[in-house]
Amino acid sequence: MSEIKNEANFKRELEALDDLQQRHVAALFVKHVLPLSTDKRLERVLKTATDEDATEEELAAALKLAHAVTFDSHARCGAEGHWSDQAGYFVARAAVAAVTPPSHSRAGGPAWQAAMSSRMAYTSMLIDDVSDQHSAHTECEWQHQCLSEYLNA
Amino acid sequence: MSASIEKGINALKRQVDSTVAAFFSSCVHCGLCAEACLFYTETGDPKRTPINKTEPLRRIWKSEYTLMGRVGKMLGLTKKVDDRLLEEWQELVYDSCTLCGRCSMVCPVGNDIALMIRKTREGMAAAGQAPEGLIGATNRAVTIGSPMGVKWPALRAQIKHVEEDTGLKVPVDVEDVEYMLLLSSMEIMNFPEFIEAVAKIFDKAGVTWTISSEAFEATNSGIQIGVSDIAAELVQRIVDVADKLRVKTVISPECGHAYMAIRWDGPNLVGKPFNFKVRHILEVMDDLRKEDRLKIGSKETQKLTYHDPCQISRRGGVIDEPRRLIDMIADDFVEMPDGGKMNWCCGAGGGVSANERADEIRLKVFERKKAQLDEVKPDAIISACSNCRIHLEDGLEEYNMDIPLLSLTETIAEHLAED
Amino acid sequence: MTEIELLSWARGPGLQIATIIFVAGVVIRVFEILMLGRKANLAEAKGQEMSSGLRTMITRTVPDRTTFKRSSVTIVLGYIFHIGLFVVCFFSAPHILFLKDIIGFGWPALPTPMIDAFAVVTIIALLATLVNRLTNKVMRYLTNFEDLLTWFLTFLPVVTGYIAFHRIGLTAPSLLAMHILSVELLLIVFPFTKLMHAFTLFIARWYNGAISGYRGVAS
Repeated sequence: MSEIKNEANFKRELEALDDLQQRHVAALFVKHVLPLSTDKRLERVLKTATDEDATEEELAAALKLAHAVTFDSHARCGAEGHWSDQAGYFVARAAVAAVTPPSHSRAGGPAWQAAMSSRMAYTSMLIDDVSDQHSAHTECEWQHQCLSEYLNA
Repeated sequence: MSASIEKGINALKRQVDSTVAAFFSSCVHCGLCAEACLFYTETGDPKRTPINKTEPLRRIWKSEYTLMGRVGKMLGLTKKVDDRLLEEWQELVYDSCTLCGRCSMVCPVGNDIALMIRKTREGMAAAGQAPEGLIGATNRAVTIGSPMGVKWPALRAQIKHVEEDTGLKVPVDVEDVEYMLLLSSMEIMNFPEFIEAVAKIFDKAGVTWTISSEAFEATNSGIQIGVSDIAAELVQRIVDVADKLRVKTVISPECGHAYMAIRWDGPNLVGKPFNFKVRHILEVMDDLRKEDRLKIGSKETQKLTYHDPCQISRRGGVIDEPRRLIDMIADDFVEMPDGGKMNWCCGAGGGVSANERADEIRLKVFERKKAQLDEVKPDAIISACSNCRIHLEDGLEEYNMDIPLLSLTETIAEHLAED
Repeated sequence: MTEIELLSWARGPGLQIATIIFVAGVVIRVFEILMLGRKANLAEAKGQEMSSGLRTMITRTVPDRTTFKRSSVTIVLGYIFHIGLFVVCFFSAPHILFLKDIIGFGWPALPTPMIDAFAVVTIIALLATLVNRLTNKVMRYLTNFEDLLTWFLTFLPVVTGYIAFHRIGLTAPSLLAMHILSVELLLIVFPFTKLMHAFTLFIARWYNGAISGYRGVAS
């Protein structure tokens, strides 16, 4: 298998994965940005996401938990928004994507959605970073690399 | 913003016009407005009756603008408006009202009660009786430019992300284009995929557009807290930039009160008609649909219903447009009971969700929306306001209901035809 | 004062005083409202103000289904006594004669048994309305002295009219005097109370329709 070279390629390969593979790859993306969240519950969600033998009930419970984390971490309308906290919100959204059954997933599939939300988590973290030297592209590149390695394994 | 009861009373006086006078003269205490208000129907507390929320304004109207009332005042028979009254009314005017306007549709004598409550807020705010959360949001809106403290670098970072994702350019500060898009802080922080969706739709439709780095905030905290001067200042920022860039139309995003603020209140706040049009993103997409510039390639298969954001639908006039758009992308659409202009409020608008003290009641009144959803049992809910969306998700989670919330704009973008 | 003198006074000076206060009061109240004016709307209109206002003046008479289901008692009772009052006021023979004297022409009256039926139904409806006002949670909270006073002043003419017509109790002239005086009392107090809604509701409904119609919403 060749390297993932661009976004279109990346998205296509992700969509071609089967349900279990999507969940695994999504979990990899989430794991990478997990340090950006302070909510320990996401670790439990991630555990279920990476578990090959996870039952439907376990996944449903993990989804509920991930949702709960998004509600507790989103910026309230009118409240002062903290981008470092928002990073945690997007990590939670990535976790939601990872344990969402593909039939219910938004466009692109769970792995793609997890990839997008993870990138946004990284972007959020960067917003408070005044140096403006990094770009979300770093995370993007890492994800391409990650998928390449997964496909070649 | 120094506050005092005198300022409050003067603010209330300025709010009395012929509409207010006609409304108060006509109220017969029939109580029908209570049954239209989810803050009453879900709590059963009669003090939350909409017309009751206007009591401070009513006292001013009576004692200052009626012959009888003025005579009564001279004789010392008037009911006063004092700090104690306003303090007691704070919870009714801010925590228990989203200005949704259902009461205004139902009053048999024709009172626009939501308008009266909005006017009452002017007095409350001037007297320093607005909830802390709203005061903070308003201060941030005035000093930083966004009630949530979102600055241009943050938006620019989100834009960069969008450009990388889509491969499309998001035009910034471009002059002489058709549209200038505003964004709400909620969207920028919680739903940045909205920007992506708009970029895709506009790219496919061949629309010229831009975002302004100087005035991108759509949310108007001045409207929510009830301080017209601040609301005017926030609108003026948009007007200045729209004039500078010579845009033809300013687009209000998926945020309810933002639309009301810029579309209907805006010119009246700043005292001049606009040189540009104002349209909601739904109206823009509907126009594109009419011109056959919106090509759809796929459809939603799940059973969908639509939650009408009050300020866009009933108070804003954008009722049919979303339905025509949904018709393009859905085969299985079902209206909620009371759907359309009489739809029930989500319970979070008008400053309620920015007010932590109102958390409990906000979740309680969600039961009204729950009742609607229990009847329809949709697979997913579509809406066009980020605040409604987040609050509905919150409520659904609280009541263990698993129904995803979709943004109409994002859903359209997802189903665009590939060339 | 004999009862004839009382009746003469009620029909003469009493009526004149009451009518003057009523007309002057209504005019002042309406003027008070309209002279405040309202600012012109500078936003770009999506719909029509005037036609929407006129439409709402009429359509607001009919409640939407959900509202009706939730407040059926209040709404139905309200309709009954309003229609009852209207029919009894304007379609009973003695009233038509009375009005003919003033405006110069009359119109066919409804048969007495029918008027009687309407009067009785109106009385019952008014009593039920009072009970509703005192037992319905929301109405009880909103109700003040003025609500009770206006109820009483509306109730009195219907009851005294019925009694006078059927000559129950006192002699005919006394009963009639009481009825006319009760109407005069109502006329005098009318402009100072929410009974003004009979006139101002058209203004309020127009404004409501105009405001909504401007935004393209049919209210």
